[in-house]
Amino acid sequence: MSRQLRTYSSELILVGLIVLAAVWSSGLSPYFLDTSNLLRSAQFFVIFALMAFGLFPVVVQGEIDISLASTLAVGSVLFALLSVRGVSLFAALPIVLVATAALGAVNGLLVAYAGLPSLAVTLGTMGAYRGLAYLLAGDSGVTGITPDYRLLGSSWVGIVPSSVVLALIIAGACALLMGTTSFGRYSYAIGSSPAASRMAAVPVNRTRVAAYALAGGLSGLAGLVWVSQYQSARGDNADGSILFVLTAVVLGGVSIKGGSGRAVGVLLAVVLLGTILTGMQLANVPGTSQTLVIGALLIGAIGLPRAVQLIRQRFGSGQLTAPAGE
Amino acid sequence: MTASVQTVPERLKERLQISGGSAALRIRFMGVLAFQALLMVVFTALVPRFIGWGNVQSILFTAAILAMVAAGQTLVVLTGNLDLSVGSIMGLSAYVVYDLASQAPVLKPYVVLVAIIFGVVLGAINGFLVAVLEIPSIVATLGTLSVYRGFVSFYAHAREVSVGELPQWARHLASANWLGVSAYVWLAVALVLLVGFALRTLPWGRKIYAYGSNPRAAYYYGLSSRRIVIGAYIGAGVIAALVGLLLGAQVGNINSLLADGIELQVLAAVVIGGVSIWGGSGTVYGAAMGAIVLATINNGLVLLGVQEFYRLIFQGAAIVAAVAVDALVQRRVQSATNRRAIMEVTS
Repeated sequence: MSRQLRTYSSELILVGLIVLAAVWSSGLSPYFLDTSNLLRSAQFFVIFALMAFGLFPVVVQGEIDISLASTLAVGSVLFALLSVRGVSLFAALPIVLVATAALGAVNGLLVAYAGLPSLAVTLGTMGAYRGLAYLLAGDSGVTGITPDYRLLGSSWVGIVPSSVVLALIIAGACALLMGTTSFGRYSYAIGSSPAASRMAAVPVNRTRVAAYALAGGLSGLAGLVWVSQYQSARGDNADGSILFVLTAVVLGGVSIKGGSGRAVGVLLAVVLLGTILTGMQLANVPGTSQTLVIGALLIGAIGLPRAVQLIRQRFGSGQLTAPAGE
Repeated sequence: MTASVQTVPERLKERLQISGGSAALRIRFMGVLAFQALLMVVFTALVPRFIGWGNVQSILFTAAILAMVAAGQTLVVLTGNLDLSVGSIMGLSAYVVYDLASQAPVLKPYVVLVAIIFGVVLGAINGFLVAVLEIPSIVATLGTLSVYRGFVSFYAHAREVSVGELPQWARHLASANWLGVSAYVWLAVALVLLVGFALRTLPWGRKIYAYGSNPRAAYYYGLSSRRIVIGAYIGAGVIAALVGLLLGAQVGNINSLLADGIELQVLAAVVIGGVSIWGGSGTVYGAAMGAIVLATINNGLVLLGVQEFYRLIFQGAAIVAAVAVDALVQRRVQSATNRRAIMEVTS
């Protein structure tokens, strides 16, 4: 029992923080804790959740992808264009997912086979894909989405919005993928030590490309959620949302240096960030100041463990030599 | 030892010294120059007024702002890190410093000093996060990017600092022409030369190169990585804060979004100019050249009436291409170093 507690300590801390944030938010507005209101608010974070689950395997492998928001924009514009041209959703879904997965795979190929730093590559493609989205969407964007594309954002399964169900399904699939499949095990191995993985005959390059392609595809799927919720698509969709996504992944206990992290942590982190943002909206905090809080959380989530370690080293050096008392 | 060295033919030794390492780097810089020349020829052929003096002046002006910030960014990139928060530092410095000066006239003569203090503090925070708390620089500065920007909008409350509130000298400087070229261009030249000189001759600069090319070796040599990285971030912060003042004076009415998103262009300039993203290699002159290339592209595409998004695609492709070339150069340098090491051992 105590061992399990320790394994899941970061998740437990997140649950505690979610409860705190929920108490704070319900103090701001009595309507916050209303079930239907909660579920309605949850819809707005489905897009971020899907991108976060895409980014998660990439970060586990010790890489990064900051181009995902731009990939989402391309995906949403493609969905909107196909919808306007009368293509049915079932035909459009594979087309767009393959297209956005291909965009992700380009990142992966450049990182894995050309050996370029993932940050620089995705910094470049972030701009390039954004440009592509503008190019496809035109100046005025695309409107007039047909009803079948809107279904995801306007239907309910029982009392739960369909898009939230979708996010939960993806979360479960992501947990299975990372926890039980060889792709998942390879990802953790690569994140811990690429060189050792190579020697252990792990297909490092292929696994990397697969992770980037998956991230691209999930961003494309997030594009569908976007279109279904906002009923239009423009080139600047989701611009700047990578900060939220990266914060969610890191806050969820995924080490930015690779090799560790769980899907359930990412899900909880999205819920936590969603609760905080909803609370701040209730408190009428302007959007730009909300980014201040997210940025501070991002830094705090990564910096705090190290800060604690440093303080311990400085003030309690005697404890370092003694065996851990637990 | 000396006898055995002479058994290696002098010509071969010379070839070894030039081939690979420095030659690859020199070719890299020449490549940027050639690209710039190509751009100018193409744009002039398509739009004859591109090469007119008025247009060249406007290119130089855009390049001046970029080149100054890029000089600061170069310091950080040389240590193998990144600073995405320069745009936010520029915005924060411009808005908050000018606003403080207009509210407390006592501060007016000290505007530059206040900006420097802001630059030091904000840069030191970045450096602390990266060097002491060991947060990867991209994450740390992505965080401070939004924290600094969030602070400005929090402070500003959707208000603007209007032209009238700016100090007179700043307005004059923004419109001044020295020897037919904007004052900003001369300031940029001076700053780039100054930073280039500091990197080349001062211990501070040499340490940045030493740390960037091999952090481990620098550690064993007894260099303090923390001091070097924090120093580089402070340098970038101070330059960004000062350029923020210049940009603010030029824009006139400053809102809380000044210089939003400029970090991507600055980073593009640095990378295109041949400063290696792995650290330890490249110069501020290269970065300045990169800024000129970017400014030329922007200007040319506007003259051609090409829409904004082609610029984004072009810029993104340029970053990836430049990094790919750098990877080749780095491999060349690596193999040349290895070869030289083998020659020294065998001879």
